[in-house]
Amino acid sequence: MNAGAALALYVMGAVTVLVLVLAVTPLGARGRRVPEVLALLGLAATVAIAVAQWGERQTAFSGELRVDRFGLLLAILIVIAAGATILLSWGEPAAAGRRPEFTGLVLAAATGMMLTVMSGDLVTLFIGIELLSVSLYVLCAIEVARGQSLESGLKYLITGAIGTALLIYGFALLYGVTGTTSLEGISARLGAVGSPAPEPLFIAAIVLVVVALGFKASTVPFHMWTPDVYQGAPTPVTTFMATGTKTAVMGAFLLVFTGATHQASGDWRVVIGAVAAITMVVGNIGALLQDNIKRMLGWSSIAQAGYLLIGVAVGTLAGTESVIYYLFAYVAMTLAAFAIVILREREVENGDHVEALAGYGRARPWAGVVMTLAMLCLAGFPPLAGFVGKFLLFGSAVDADMTWLAIVGAVASVVSVVYYLRVVIVMWAPPPGGRHEVRRLGVPRAVAGVAIAAGVAVIALAIWAQPVLDVCADAARALMIP
Amino acid sequence: MPWVSILILVPLAAAVVVALMRDRRIARVVALAGSTLALAVSVVVVASFDRGVAVMQQVDHLDWIPSAGVSWDVGVDGISIWLVLLTTAIFTLGTVAACQRLPEQRGSVFLGLILLAEAGLLGLFTAGDLILFYVCWEFMLIPFALLIWNWGEGGQKTAGLVFVVYTMAGSLLMLVAIISTGIIAMDHTGGLSFLIRDLQGVAFGEATSTILLAGFLIAFAIKIPLWPLHGWLPRAYSQAPLVVTILLAAVMSKAGVYGLLRIGLPVFPEGVGNVVIPIAILALTGIVYGSLLAWRATTMRLLVGYSSMAHLGFIVLGIIVLDRMAAQGAVLQMVNHGLVAAAAFVIVLILGRGAGTEDMDRLSGLAKGAPRMAVAFLIVTMAALALPGSNAFVGEFFILGGVFNQYAWMAVIATLGIIYAAVYMLRMYQSTMNGPVHGVRDDGRAVEMTARDAIVLIPLILMMMWIAVWPGSLVGATRASTDMALAPAQLADGRPVEQIGILPARAALPATDHPEQP
Repeated sequence: MNAGAALALYVMGAVTVLVLVLAVTPLGARGRRVPEVLALLGLAATVAIAVAQWGERQTAFSGELRVDRFGLLLAILIVIAAGATILLSWGEPAAAGRRPEFTGLVLAAATGMMLTVMSGDLVTLFIGIELLSVSLYVLCAIEVARGQSLESGLKYLITGAIGTALLIYGFALLYGVTGTTSLEGISARLGAVGSPAPEPLFIAAIVLVVVALGFKASTVPFHMWTPDVYQGAPTPVTTFMATGTKTAVMGAFLLVFTGATHQASGDWRVVIGAVAAITMVVGNIGALLQDNIKRMLGWSSIAQAGYLLIGVAVGTLAGTESVIYYLFAYVAMTLAAFAIVILREREVENGDHVEALAGYGRARPWAGVVMTLAMLCLAGFPPLAGFVGKFLLFGSAVDADMTWLAIVGAVASVVSVVYYLRVVIVMWAPPPGGRHEVRRLGVPRAVAGVAIAAGVAVIALAIWAQPVLDVCADAARALMIP
Repeated sequence: MPWVSILILVPLAAAVVVALMRDRRIARVVALAGSTLALAVSVVVVASFDRGVAVMQQVDHLDWIPSAGVSWDVGVDGISIWLVLLTTAIFTLGTVAACQRLPEQRGSVFLGLILLAEAGLLGLFTAGDLILFYVCWEFMLIPFALLIWNWGEGGQKTAGLVFVVYTMAGSLLMLVAIISTGIIAMDHTGGLSFLIRDLQGVAFGEATSTILLAGFLIAFAIKIPLWPLHGWLPRAYSQAPLVVTILLAAVMSKAGVYGLLRIGLPVFPEGVGNVVIPIAILALTGIVYGSLLAWRATTMRLLVGYSSMAHLGFIVLGIIVLDRMAAQGAVLQMVNHGLVAAAAFVIVLILGRGAGTEDMDRLSGLAKGAPRMAVAFLIVTMAALALPGSNAFVGEFFILGGVFNQYAWMAVIATLGIIYAAVYMLRMYQSTMNGPVHGVRDDGRAVEMTARDAIVLIPLILMMMWIAVWPGSLVGATRASTDMALAPAQLADGRPVEQIGILPARAALPATDHPEQP
């Protein structure tokens, strides 16, 4: 027991509050960058604390919070996503009047995400998910002058509320079956009595939790909100949803299933496996016909959630390790893709349309290279990080006698090649009419920095896969071996 | 020195440097230097190659993801050594041809992508690790696809995508098969490893072996392409810039057959017996069907493309009948076909540029104004139809002889392909070169071979002649490795012991211990 163990969360919370207070403080022209700078400093401090705390599991608040390698590693990834989001929105004209609110809400959401992955109890986990959801409802609608943004926030709110209701219901049933809300307690209880397989309540709990978390992770059958919300929300917010939320919710999946109910994995393997398989197929087919690149990436993120769920479904150490590695790869390639979309959006009207990228590779070769890397990586082309991740995920499926899942994943990946490569083709083809339609505004340095860093990361994560995997394996062991 | 690794890294490094160059002239020089340097390194590798050793030699091993059993493991053996040399030689000539007619738009990127494809192919032909093999298999796809998209002819953008989707459909299933192979083998060997040499001795059992082999075969069949999976070929060959078509037909088309001989037979010997007849029938169909398509093709480019499909059918047949002589012929024929296809496409390139069309019906009598061209064309034609005294004759003779030993009826059907080859190749030659002058001005002087063309074409013809005169210089180096690749499958299929060149347990011994070729 050590209340100081959750230091990273205190720092995040404190910075969040501070930045939100700034929202109601007149800062003047000189102080207009203060919220962002403060936020970035807070995030950097959080990473430093997380790295310093790297080690054996510590708990705080009677086990409500668990600070272990699993939670810390995902927390670092979430902080990276939050930092990238703030950089990507640097100087964003649309929400110019609301910088402190925007930054503060990103931090609040990130705090919720960290709370989720560091939770030791169903209640804490629920609070974390709620905190991230509520912050994101508002973030989606932060461009109040734009109808699409409001619509997106409203849609997310309504579907998200259903998800929340189902989640709390599922947790309640889980409590009913096991008599405890503590993740360790659930694990111990299931270990004592073995799998309560004939217990219909337990199956109902599993289904409800899978469905509810599936809402947040945008898996089939509750994926429908994703393309709409992704398209409507301000692009940095979309980026944050695609990277941060996905990481946090996959963390929740791992905590509840691979971690807490591992003894009963026979009951949920097929359920999650089926959801993964259908999600991969539906996501990739849905992405085929999209002309809006944010919508396409929305569908693609559905498919990617399906790939990630393979590693949850197998319920093994190798599977967990693969999910964590793939999350790193996924965050890097998604950041790279969205950074280029943001770059283009700032240059032209309707910059989120696939056609707006026509000839962009010829006009800005470095951006073309980053986008090409991101698309190839998402499609799983070697030797990039996305390939290594898919290789590990498929490998964990085969290893756990779920080869069918790997085959579905492979077939779905073939479909995905079509839409990912379409972007590459469009980018490098001559622009229609032969004009290089680039407004020479000067590239926003923060956005370019994120794009290039993410582009380098998708290569580096593949070349130095082993050191990264060693860290992921540590995290997986922390989750599965108490 | 780790020459084989250097061999792969040289074009890779050159590709990056070239693609970043803004000055086209310097880019040209660097690209030529890079591909020539790779050629020089490959000559070093060939020079230090020990013909007596059957297993991979000059192996460079470096762990990549040890916990997943993945490593950078490259080396050469008798099956790959000539393909490596073929790759560097054809890419050097291809780079020369590309430099002569560099596209107006972004020529330096064009050259960079060609070098990238070269690195991928060299990695493929030297990979000793299944995952590395897969990485290279996919890696070369992207440069080729980008070359077809961005510099393709004919305005349509479908060819590149069709090419990629076809290949990916096969290769992702291959990835699942590779993973399954590694994990199933773990029960036998204890540790997770994707090294081909580790997987070779694993007894998977017939059923498992067949299923895993099938996963690989789909990928190989698409790449070869085996009938009926050839749908991408006419599109890609006719829409790619011709320089790229040369590289596709001469080098990339060997990836599938190489995989069959390097991975398919040695790693899954127990399953091979079940696929011999089905694959042979597909290959035979491909020979006949490809020949018929070539016969009726309207453009020279498609004619050579379809003939290439027929020739690949021969090579597949040579490998799959599990005969020592046929397998050596198949390896020899991979090199032969690479040279002949490259030379044929170079001629199509010269004719098409000079005459302004590749349509055979609109051209005739070109020999009158272009006698040197006519001679070169005739030599290549004779080689393509495997006339005795040509290099392809040796290869096809080996293959047909071996096939006849095993399944006489297959040899009879395959011979049809040789007859058809005479029909379509002579048709191409006659209709363009002989007859009244038509379709060009000045009696066709525009298509005459110039010094620039000769730089590309003459080395190809010289190499063809070398093999025609002294095939033993190649076959001698391949024998030990092909024998070893075949032996397990021959044993598992119950072939007579006297047909087996090497008994698997003795695979690592020098070749002098083996009985001589009958």
